[in-house]
Amino acid sequence: MNWSNIITATLSAFFGVNAMYFAISALGLNVQFGYAGLLNFGQAGFMACGAYAVGMTAHYFGISFWWGIPLAVLYAVLFGLVMGVPTLRLRADYLAIVTIALAECVRLVARSVTFKKYFGGSDGINQFSGPFVDLSPWNPSAKYSLNPFAASTNLVGAILLLISYTVCSVLLGSLIADKWTYHQNVARRTKWVLSSVVTFVVILVLVSQTEYDGLSFKSLVVGWVLAAVIAALVFMLMRSPWGRVIKGIREDEDAVRSLGKNVYSYKMQALILGGVIATFSGIMFSVSRGSVQPDNYSRDVTFYVLTALVLGGLAKVSGSIVGPMLFWGILQFVDVFLNELTKSWGGEVRIFGLPLITSSSDIGVLVQIVIGLMLVFLMVFRPQGMFGNRKEMAIDGH
Amino acid sequence: MNPGDQLTTRLKQLAALLLVVLTVFGLFAPSAHADDLQVKVRVQNQVKNESTGKTTKEPVPGVKVEVLDAAGGVVGDGVTDAKGVAEIPVPTKADYTVKVDESTLPEGLALEDGNERSIKGDAFLTASVTVNFFTGSAGRATVGWWSQLAQRIADGARFGLILAMCAVGLSLIFGTTGLTNFAHGEMVTFGAMMAYIINTDRGITPWIAFPAAILLGGLFGLAQNEFIYSPLRRRKIGLVSQMVVTVGVAIVLKNVFLRILGGRTKAFGAFNNQSCTKVGPICITPRDFTTSIISLVILVGVALALQRTRLGKATRAVSDNPELASSTGIDSQKIIRLVWIIGGMLAATGGIFRGLDEGVSPFMGSDLLFLMFAGITLGGLGSAYGALAGSFVIGMFVEVSTLGIPILPGESWPAPFNWFHDGVPSELKNVPAYLAMIVVLLVRPQGILGRRERVG
Amino acid sequence: MDTDDTTLSETARVARAALAGVAPEPGVSKPDPIMTAVGVRRSFGGITAVDVEKVEIQRGSITALIGPNGAGKTTFFNLMTAFDTPDTGQWAFDGKSLEGVAAHKTADMGMVRTFQLTKSLTKMSVIENMKLGATGQRGEKWWNGIMPFTWKAQERDIEARADSLLSRFKLDHMRNEYAGTLSGGQRKLLEMSRALMTNPKLVMLDEPMAGVNPALKQSLNQHIKGLRDDGMTVLFVEHDMDMVHDISDWVIVMAEGQIIAEGTPDQISSNPAVIDAYLGAHQGKSLLEDL
Repeated sequence: MNWSNIITATLSAFFGVNAMYFAISALGLNVQFGYAGLLNFGQAGFMACGAYAVGMTAHYFGISFWWGIPLAVLYAVLFGLVMGVPTLRLRADYLAIVTIALAECVRLVARSVTFKKYFGGSDGINQFSGPFVDLSPWNPSAKYSLNPFAASTNLVGAILLLISYTVCSVLLGSLIADKWTYHQNVARRTKWVLSSVVTFVVILVLVSQTEYDGLSFKSLVVGWVLAAVIAALVFMLMRSPWGRVIKGIREDEDAVRSLGKNVYSYKMQALILGGVIATFSGIMFSVSRGSVQPDNYSRDVTFYVLTALVLGGLAKVSGSIVGPMLFWGILQFVDVFLNELTKSWGGEVRIFGLPLITSSSDIGVLVQIVIGLMLVFLMVFRPQGMFGNRKEMAIDGH
Repeated sequence: MNPGDQLTTRLKQLAALLLVVLTVFGLFAPSAHADDLQVKVRVQNQVKNESTGKTTKEPVPGVKVEVLDAAGGVVGDGVTDAKGVAEIPVPTKADYTVKVDESTLPEGLALEDGNERSIKGDAFLTASVTVNFFTGSAGRATVGWWSQLAQRIADGARFGLILAMCAVGLSLIFGTTGLTNFAHGEMVTFGAMMAYIINTDRGITPWIAFPAAILLGGLFGLAQNEFIYSPLRRRKIGLVSQMVVTVGVAIVLKNVFLRILGGRTKAFGAFNNQSCTKVGPICITPRDFTTSIISLVILVGVALALQRTRLGKATRAVSDNPELASSTGIDSQKIIRLVWIIGGMLAATGGIFRGLDEGVSPFMGSDLLFLMFAGITLGGLGSAYGALAGSFVIGMFVEVSTLGIPILPGESWPAPFNWFHDGVPSELKNVPAYLAMIVVLLVRPQGILGRRERVG
Repeated sequence: MDTDDTTLSETARVARAALAGVAPEPGVSKPDPIMTAVGVRRSFGGITAVDVEKVEIQRGSITALIGPNGAGKTTFFNLMTAFDTPDTGQWAFDGKSLEGVAAHKTADMGMVRTFQLTKSLTKMSVIENMKLGATGQRGEKWWNGIMPFTWKAQERDIEARADSLLSRFKLDHMRNEYAGTLSGGQRKLLEMSRALMTNPKLVMLDEPMAGVNPALKQSLNQHIKGLRDDGMTVLFVEHDMDMVHDISDWVIVMAEGQIIAEGTPDQISSNPAVIDAYLGAHQGKSLLEDL
């Protein structure tokens, strides 16, 4: 069994393109579901809005895909209105049903032969991110690491990476210092500095194992910076009076309404804001591949984002970043581990003489089962996520 | 025992049950599909039946096809067999182009949509990817519009009945527990899958296999209630969280089914290849006729049972007002259990009938889920009669909307705007149903048969 | 009952004097009504829950709305605050019609309500609960939300006001705790003080004493009287007749959706129709026939 292969793959997935675009999408879903309590099952539809907006500007309108960004925001706002207007006055499950059905409509229309002229059918739209590729100081065919001291990284990238690792370390360090309750005689500041330094070193060790091609690498740098900016904005919003109203609505919308807040309007704002954030996730994903395919925006994608979010913890900004990293880390680990296991066991995994894995496609199915089980067990036993505090959850909701 | 311990015990039981189910029904059984990656190329000739307006597909053997890699190099080639299929092994899950040698096509046949198809690496969900090429013989015969309409209405009614049967359980479960079950589609798949395994895999006569599958469907529903949702209710887990749990359950079940069945759609061994009998303008196979009659009888039975029997009345009472019902001595947990059993059995029956019609695949149920939602929203969430009527209307709507009304303008209008003339393209036939659901929510959120209740 | 004139506050005396000349009849007009409802009806699936011909609430008074279970008191509250819409009827607050006015707008007009089942937002801190009550917050616009300088100053004012209300209601020691950790009575207090953050003219309390321990009931009583002293009008639903007698200036009795009696607490406690309604002697037929 090739353990270094397993570790490298897992760590690459940890910071990889999938985790990046899931993190942005999860930030949006967190605004909707985590903070406002709106069960949006159509996140994939919002993501498709972004992906197709950039794809279509290049493919159909024939202009640079950069124009797709404002178009994507427009799509997301309209999509949110169509979802919200019929449902936000009704019970929560109506929203879930309508959002999932509308997202499915988007996918069906996008992959249809009827609309192939606009959306490219089931093949989607390909090779449109030329301007993004050209922008690159990184060579698409070379391999890069997120390790800032690696020879392949250039100076700009190295500085950006170092800054973001420092910020992450300081933030995480603060969290760890808060949980560090023993050693009462040590000052909190000391704990903070110590935790930050340790976190920084751990991050460097982890990322030095990673490896990405030039285009992915650039998408990662841009995408994670974008995720960080959005996370900061969401964090500030949720500490503002606006966030207070939103959180109040999640707990009891009648109480908030009786205090003179237009609950319908706030719900709509949260739905659309989360959708616009998700649209950037779609943009980043499609740009990182230079292509958009309708089946990358199926309902399962929404469910995976939801699982990743619940894994990280609802109603926490850090949850929407850490959750997707863990989610893809775990998936990649399971996937590569089972592959290596199958290889080393001679192409078949048998338990008690019964075949569990007989072909590579079985592994994909098992990974999906792991996702489903993860969602069920998290929702039942740890709705506060892997790192959430039990205290808040223990409070009686009534 | 405190509720937490009880739950842990329950979950252990659940895990044990899951293991047993997986063991028995094949997660550990040899995989249904081949190990080696391959591209399946299918070449079919479309022949339109003059009287029914339906298109049948016939295999075209002896056509040479080749698979090219991204660089244009030939990876493999083959010639279609008697089934019109050529299986060409490929080394990796990568992007390929499939090319048909048009000179090897039989005389008079021409490919409809070019002689090349591209395959994406991600299309290899399983070890095999199927690529279809169609030829159309020149000069299709047309059928009178009224005959087509009659045929669509007949098909729509049949589909509507099946859909209604699947949806009643979903609606009853929602009514009695408030839970919107996103895993209900999997109950449909389960029924069809069990019927397929017992009948076609194990070779047992359908007269035993189908009732057995329906009973198993009821047990499956009961098991879900006992091991998952009943403990969650006792633990006072919120409905929204429960809804998210159903999503997880759906993902798990769908993939367990995928592991058991494989990704390809399978046809039942029984009642296959029937030719249709003409009844007036409608052409219907004896199988479809029988399943329709059975569906109708079952649905009328369910409606009567709800109306007349003591348990049926109790069920409606629990749906109307659970607190009031339990204060009048109705054991609501017993009713909920019953509803899961009945819902599971009805879904399984619907699944079997759907499977006879369209084949069995792991995704067949989840593909129907949104149409069921549309149906019960249309009829009024939580009302069983509403679910019956709404689903029937939706099923009908989906089938009939594919037929355009030629007297309306729009013949030469561009694609999105010509649907009322040419009909909704069949690849998009579910879209109008979903949109209808949204319009209903805007205009009459309580549904057509639902009562006005306080909302917002 | 300590209702003799020596213990009454100035505002109570004014309120009672104004109502002294009003005839104790259902639907009687008041000298200075802050709220009026005429012909308000609401039925659910054939059952008429509320059928009020006319009712007026005197400004500056404490009015109690009493009646047996299922009399339609809460439904009436819901109708008045736009949480539900009547089938027919007109109703107005402070001279402005409320027909077609959304629930959240009634709060801006100066009308605020609490709920029978206390709605404290349990996973938010007590102070956050309070600050949510303030109206006209600039930071409640999302675009201002990301620019703290646009709302920080206002937030400080709101926080100061919230703190002073919390100390008035003796909740200041719980300021930073989750509202979910409060006792039932404290939650009632929090809900009431949160409602006051909207600077209301009319405070509508739905069963403020339900589930409150007797010790806290006395201080709740004082707080409700204090609202009147601050110039607010109070309308409250209550079952506890002692409390009603103690603090209210005027009592309205509902049964089976209708107003069956009105009057001062003393007049009501000797009204045979009220006693009948509570004892349920008139099930099924209109109580108005007996008056």
